[in-house]
Amino acid sequence: MVYTKKSPALLIIGVIMLAIWFMADSGALSGYIEHLGGKKYKYFTELTSMPLYFGIIAALGGLWVLFGAHKEGQLDYYSSAIAGGMFILIIAMLVRWFIAPEIAVISTMMGKVGDTGKYIHKLLGLNYVVIGIVAGIVIVNVFRVPEWAENGVRLSRLGLKTGVILLGTLYSAAELKNLGGLSIIMIGFFVLGSVGIVLWMGARMKIPNSMGGVLSAGMGVCGVSATVAAAPVVQAKSVEIAYTIGTILLWGVGCMFIFPIVGNLLGMSHVQFGAWAGTGILNSAQVAGAALAFQPDGIETLKVAEIFNITRVLVLPIIVIWLAVWYVKREESVTETVNVGRVIFEKFPVFVIGFILLFALSSTGVFAPANHYKGKYFGNTTESGFKESKVLKSDQRSVLSAGMAQVQRQDRKDALQRLIDNGKVMSIEDDDALRGLINAKVLSSDANKILKGAHKAVRHTAKKIKAFREWITWLFAFGLVGLGMQITLSSMKQAGGQPAIIGAVVGSLKAVLSLIVVMMLVSETI
Amino acid sequence: MISSKNVLLSSHGTDGAQAAERAAIAMCETEATIKHLLVVPDLWKDMMGDDWLNNGSTRDRYGRYIESELGKEIDTHISRVRQQAEEKGIHYHCEVILGKPDKCLANACKEAHYDMVIMGSPRPKGVAGLRSRMTTGPLAETISSPLLIVPYPDE
Repeated sequence: MVYTKKSPALLIIGVIMLAIWFMADSGALSGYIEHLGGKKYKYFTELTSMPLYFGIIAALGGLWVLFGAHKEGQLDYYSSAIAGGMFILIIAMLVRWFIAPEIAVISTMMGKVGDTGKYIHKLLGLNYVVIGIVAGIVIVNVFRVPEWAENGVRLSRLGLKTGVILLGTLYSAAELKNLGGLSIIMIGFFVLGSVGIVLWMGARMKIPNSMGGVLSAGMGVCGVSATVAAAPVVQAKSVEIAYTIGTILLWGVGCMFIFPIVGNLLGMSHVQFGAWAGTGILNSAQVAGAALAFQPDGIETLKVAEIFNITRVLVLPIIVIWLAVWYVKREESVTETVNVGRVIFEKFPVFVIGFILLFALSSTGVFAPANHYKGKYFGNTTESGFKESKVLKSDQRSVLSAGMAQVQRQDRKDALQRLIDNGKVMSIEDDDALRGLINAKVLSSDANKILKGAHKAVRHTAKKIKAFREWITWLFAFGLVGLGMQITLSSMKQAGGQPAIIGAVVGSLKAVLSLIVVMMLVSETI
Repeated sequence: MISSKNVLLSSHGTDGAQAAERAAIAMCETEATIKHLLVVPDLWKDMMGDDWLNNGSTRDRYGRYIESELGKEIDTHISRVRQQAEEKGIHYHCEVILGKPDKCLANACKEAHYDMVIMGSPRPKGVAGLRSRMTTGPLAETISSPLLIVPYPDE
């Protein structure tokens, strides 16, 4: 079978991308960019680079699709995915650069909502991530995904998995330890709790074991993915699978919109929201969506939420084995035994190994010095990025010496003395102490200015980590738009019957209880 | 009772469809022909939802499992109608298609002429089953053969 569909679509996408680049680069878009926020518009650098590179790829690919000789084989199979991938990408680009900023402009013009003090787009989380997912849902349900793009839409999964793998570069060991511990406790409690409640409710409502099994996996672990993994194991009937997936999708999409609104109204921190979304949202795809909807211009919330997602997916093989054993025990007709090794081997998420590998590589200092935090690191030598021109001049040292008498705390006094002696901050501890001194505002404004300069001189941004952060944002945006294209109303319409009742009870319980636990027990930072 | 020699039966095993099957058998004379059209709703193509965490082998296994489950259901429906038809000396043919039920039925009616097209009634509210309802209004306007919609059992 030849997968490549002869169509001018990819070439047209390439031309549109190149036109966007040309208009941005030549200044033809200046007026519109001014309308979208002028200096506050954050995407100008992207506009003058990304559409050029991807436009060339799409245009060349488009020429190959139109005029190339396509034969059955690996090359045809993989190249047939380019059109769909570019289709997702151009939608993500248009949403991020133009549609979402335009909505923000309109929303700002409408003024703040009541006494919330927030604009409607902020309150509803109407940013490029949410709008991108909605665009995907609209495309698949109103227009259908074009035939030439069908193969490539599947690339969205690759985008998300690559995004998670790259996220591994952004964690510090302490962060991973703390978040990992927290997620194991919360996911362990809520996954086991919701699986147990679904099985208990299923028994009370006398639903078949196969339905109870598949529903408990979906509701308890990671939504559709868990349903896909567990359905064959518990021999779920086709209609039971349809009920479960319909219920989870409907609930998941609803949560993706509601969670960020609640998070904003409650003033939750990034850590709190990430932990709540990672625990309370049934479907794992919508966890990432909600995290980016809550914090579109940073990935701190996503970092927390994805650790919870990874913990969930690591729990999945265990739950599948549990359900398999549970099902075999209850169904006399089943004579097969559970092959534990095979289940673990088949269900193990290989991309998590990639995440761990990149985390380990990042910790060795390949991408940034090992002591980096969120891509920032301390360095007071020329090799680590310190410029000798930043060493304090004698007049600056005199200003600091004059203020020494006002400093009370010994650690701050010592750090200040070392700064005066050496002309630069000598350690991370000294840097922390001096920042505390700045915040305490005991010194003159001139002295504080010098201290701020000394701090900036030893704090550097790792270029590779910065690039990773940008790539991660794009990979998730790309993946989520593509996943939106796989959420059909016809599958959501299947939600109903007893699974919908059980789903509503367990989904609500999980969302509310996890919110209470997070607000009471999870601190604002980690 | 009206009798027919060449009937198109659209059914896929629900209680309403089984009522249509019984009506089709009753209306056909010996040596008549029943063409049994079984449409697997194309919503199954999207029934992997937005899964992204699983690896290829898990997704393949799920796909094969769904195919085999749907295949078993189809086989059950076919053997049930075939048996009833053969008992009465009716020629039985069947066709299984993946698509939208109403569009597939309309296409089947365009491809050949039938004395009668028989289908079941939509499932009443509250009865469990897939939501893949045929829109009978436009369908009746599209097809040229007489269309019989058999009432839902116990209605």
